[in-house]
Amino acid sequence: MAEYILEAVDIEYKYPGGTVALGGLSMSVEKGGKAAVLGPNGAGKTTLFLHFNGILRPSRGRVRFAGRDVRYDQASLMELRKNVGIVFQDPDTQLFSSSVLQEVSFGPMNMGLPRDEVLRRVQGALEATGIIDLKHRPTHFLSDGQKKRVAIADVLAMDPPVIIIDEPTACLDPRCRRHVVDLLDAANREGKTVIMSTHDVDLAYSWADRVFVVMDGALAGEGRPEDVFQDGELLERAGLDRPWLVEIYGEIKKKGWLAAGSPPPRTKEQLYDIIPDGRRASK
Amino acid sequence: MLQIDCYAYANRLLSVHPGEKAAFSLVTMIICLASPSPVTSLAVILLAALLTIYRAGVPWRPYLGIAAVPALFLAFGAAAVAVSFSGQPDGYLFGLSLGGTCVGVTPRDLGIAARLFLKSLGATTCLLFLALTTPMVEVVSALRKAGVPALFVDLAAIVYRFIFVLAETAERIYISQSSRLGYKNLRSGYISLGQLAANLFIRAYRRSQALFTAMSARCYTGEIRVLETGHRVSVKNVAVIVVLDLSLVALSLVNLP
Repeated sequence: MAEYILEAVDIEYKYPGGTVALGGLSMSVEKGGKAAVLGPNGAGKTTLFLHFNGILRPSRGRVRFAGRDVRYDQASLMELRKNVGIVFQDPDTQLFSSSVLQEVSFGPMNMGLPRDEVLRRVQGALEATGIIDLKHRPTHFLSDGQKKRVAIADVLAMDPPVIIIDEPTACLDPRCRRHVVDLLDAANREGKTVIMSTHDVDLAYSWADRVFVVMDGALAGEGRPEDVFQDGELLERAGLDRPWLVEIYGEIKKKGWLAAGSPPPRTKEQLYDIIPDGRRASK
Repeated sequence: MLQIDCYAYANRLLSVHPGEKAAFSLVTMIICLASPSPVTSLAVILLAALLTIYRAGVPWRPYLGIAAVPALFLAFGAAAVAVSFSGQPDGYLFGLSLGGTCVGVTPRDLGIAARLFLKSLGATTCLLFLALTTPMVEVVSALRKAGVPALFVDLAAIVYRFIFVLAETAERIYISQSSRLGYKNLRSGYISLGQLAANLFIRAYRRSQALFTAMSARCYTGEIRVLETGHRVSVKNVAVIVVLDLSLVALSLVNLP
């Protein structure tokens, strides 16, 4: 059986004022996996993430980390936050310091690590995110893409086994986007569990090994990306587009170009591989 | 504001220990304020300005522009000191008589005003020296090392960071308003400006909450702990500061009235 690192068990959360943000949401994230959380704006994705890190406490239900219920005393919360790092969507709300070096050192310092270790981790995180040159630059002179990388370095420096990242590619140019995705893949290869929320169905389809669709504060569907994105009814309900790979695959399959049973391609290269050579076919 | 900040990060004294710069600025300022002689004030103004321009490499034109703002403010303040009221019209350098009293400027008051102006300008140039050569992050870190309470230091650091965030927000709101003709005449201008201010306040409040959330997510428990980068204290610089400041003290002792 798969080992789950983070679980939400029937969690309910109401905002002050009574608006239900999460209404009995249950989901389990596999250890070492790449999970994408999709869903319309206001579906409760960010609220869910804040539960995984113990910032919010469910009014009903439980959050479990590594097979144990999360407890909400100070020491347990610190332990949870060392293990589950969140990169927030808007770097400007996350970056509090005017110095990149100090900003990134904040997490490791709070973990009570010795100075040398903090410095080593900050260096490591800045190198991994490719912003070592910005070490002494003030935060307010950075571009959006650079700020995003600092925000990611913030969390990498804490070296948590689970990284949650809220809309990592929003407002980034294609190159920055690729860089951020590569970073997440690298972290995943080291054995970290990565959870991202995104509106980018193409990215979710190619990147994730598990997709969760959240709607109106509850889980509307989950599964392997190739299954979730074939579920027309679910996509329709959640207002999600089909990834272009799935569209094209469906179309060429319908027109009889594909051998029966060839699996849906997950990447551009896989798609090219399954398209038969037309010149040979016409002879 | 941004201009000062740019020079603070791009000047030739950037690598100098912030403590040395702060000490020079502070000690020179104290000498300037304590000395009764206007010669000392003049010497301080020249010293601080020349150090900022020639040693730190801040171009003189923008420097004068930056210094002109407080100087103008001080000039108006000092002008008010120079004016006095009296029943006797004699002794006034110039003045006018209103009913029985005379409003005007006496040579003595003019002297006081001039000395006050020079003294405060001297203190201002000392502060400008620090502001133009030392990034705020280092000032904050120097304050922390000097034992200023953490609450005050943390607050200063966050306020500084969020000045930029809010300025950017304000600019975006302003652009979006003016692109929809929000400032087409005086009336709509006032309305738009009011909405901008109200909006900014709400956003600042929401930002503060979001910031607290984000900091809590990284194990924040009430005190900001960050890595301080070390600067080496230069014996040569300390010696230069001591010599300069001692000469200033000597100068003011010689010129004691």
